[in-house]
Amino acid sequence: MIQTILDALSYGGLYGLAALGIGLVFGVMRLVNFAHGELIAIGAYLFIITIDLGLPISIMIAVTGTAILALLMELSVFKRLRLAGPSVLLIASFGVSIFLQRLYEIIFGALPISGQIAPWMSGVIEFGDTTITRGSVLTIILALVLLAGMRFLIENTTLGLQIRAASSDFQTARLLGVRSNYVIGAAFVFSGVLAAAVAFVLVTQRGSVDPLFGINITILALVGTVIGGLGSLQGAALGGFAVGMTISLLNSFLGNYRVYTYTWLFILVIIVLLIRPSGLISNKAFKERA
Amino acid sequence: MSLLSVRDLQAGYGKVQVLFNGHIEVEPGELVGIVGPNGAGKSTFLAALAGSVKPSHGDIEFRGASIRGRKPEDIVRLGLALVPEGRAIFTDLTVNENLLLGLTGRRDKSGSAKALAEVTDLFPVINSHRNHQAGLLSGGQQQQLAIARALVSEPSLLMLDEPSLGLSPMVIKDVFGVLNRIQELGTAIIVVEQRAHLIMSIASRTLVMREGHVRATLSREDAKDETKLAAAYFGTGEDRE
Repeated sequence: MIQTILDALSYGGLYGLAALGIGLVFGVMRLVNFAHGELIAIGAYLFIITIDLGLPISIMIAVTGTAILALLMELSVFKRLRLAGPSVLLIASFGVSIFLQRLYEIIFGALPISGQIAPWMSGVIEFGDTTITRGSVLTIILALVLLAGMRFLIENTTLGLQIRAASSDFQTARLLGVRSNYVIGAAFVFSGVLAAAVAFVLVTQRGSVDPLFGINITILALVGTVIGGLGSLQGAALGGFAVGMTISLLNSFLGNYRVYTYTWLFILVIIVLLIRPSGLISNKAFKERA
Repeated sequence: MSLLSVRDLQAGYGKVQVLFNGHIEVEPGELVGIVGPNGAGKSTFLAALAGSVKPSHGDIEFRGASIRGRKPEDIVRLGLALVPEGRAIFTDLTVNENLLLGLTGRRDKSGSAKALAEVTDLFPVINSHRNHQAGLLSGGQQQQLAIARALVSEPSLLMLDEPSLGLSPMVIKDVFGVLNRIQELGTAIIVVEQRAHLIMSIASRTLVMREGHVRATLSREDAKDETKLAAAYFGTGEDRE
């Protein structure tokens, strides 16, 4: 029972991190970035490739590398599409996503590459009769630390204030002097850092990475940002958390019928959206960007 | 030399041209009004000056340098600030956070504290609500906050788009009273208004816009002459002459 709850919380935390990464970029530029999955994938590749240098160095390289790729996406593609509408941006992000998948295939091969990056994440902790997996506890801690860190950054710094302003009304924020390229670039960098964190947890769980590594969680995290309320950062994290938790709980309760997990998940998603079409936390200041 | 000198400005949205001939001269410290019916292109004119709408043609010279085609975030740093129509307050943020965002547009960050103090001095009401959510302010208070937020960047020219919109006559009086004080402190002001009389009584000159063109410039004396105003406003002037 305790393990079920811990699993649910750790899944929730993991999906919350992924959804917040997507929500940050969506907030400032109304871009649904499908290529977020490829950021998670490159993070995982970098972890596995560099783990022989020791974990601290590996973390540094993976986080920096993923953040740089995120920024490169913005500078090379999305920055050139500033005047384009959300649908063009969405299609462009599909393009970036597929391009990167093929690129990974060319560089790393289509087959999974395996590696152990943090063996201490697996194994169990025993409390008398109950045992819990170490990975779930550490994932919860990592998620809490990162979410608290992001919250501090968004709520208490000048850059965070500018990101919040740009998320609710980009045009007015610019009129006040908020530099659009700077804020958007920062959002991409943060989403890259969060993607690397997600990659770390996923790669310790799965032990291998392939070019399509990040797709599944990205789609589900996108569902989370929609459920949470597009345009609200809190909503994104919360929606991602809800989706992750639901998946984990469904997996536990359905037992042998867990093939139906996603069926039930999306039935629940549809019900939530029918009751609250604008998401759990609707951002009143949310405006469609012209 | 004029503070702002605009000639032959054209702008619009996509293929729809809204502004066909915008021109204006503003001297340092002057208060200039722009009036005209709905859809005359007044807001587009201001937006083009502030950089949020890209002009397709014409010159904008501000403090002796061309600013046409520059980004809004750069233009505000040069000292040209716009309070957009409908106030555009960040309702989810606190009053204080709204003011802090206004500081982003300052070129010199060292005077920030002083600027904040001066502005809250000008709007005591705002100061007493510093930590409240801005969305909870009344319409008049939000308008004052929008003006205060633009002022903390210490612009040499402040542009206001329909500051009276949605406000009661009492509150409008307050807001316009503050405009006079801002002007006394040396800031030039452009005010776009539907309520022509309101602005013409305090502006040194008032431009009348119609169908995307600046059609006439009226002095303060002209404002007292109903027929002159009506002629410019409704375009009946040409018929009478």
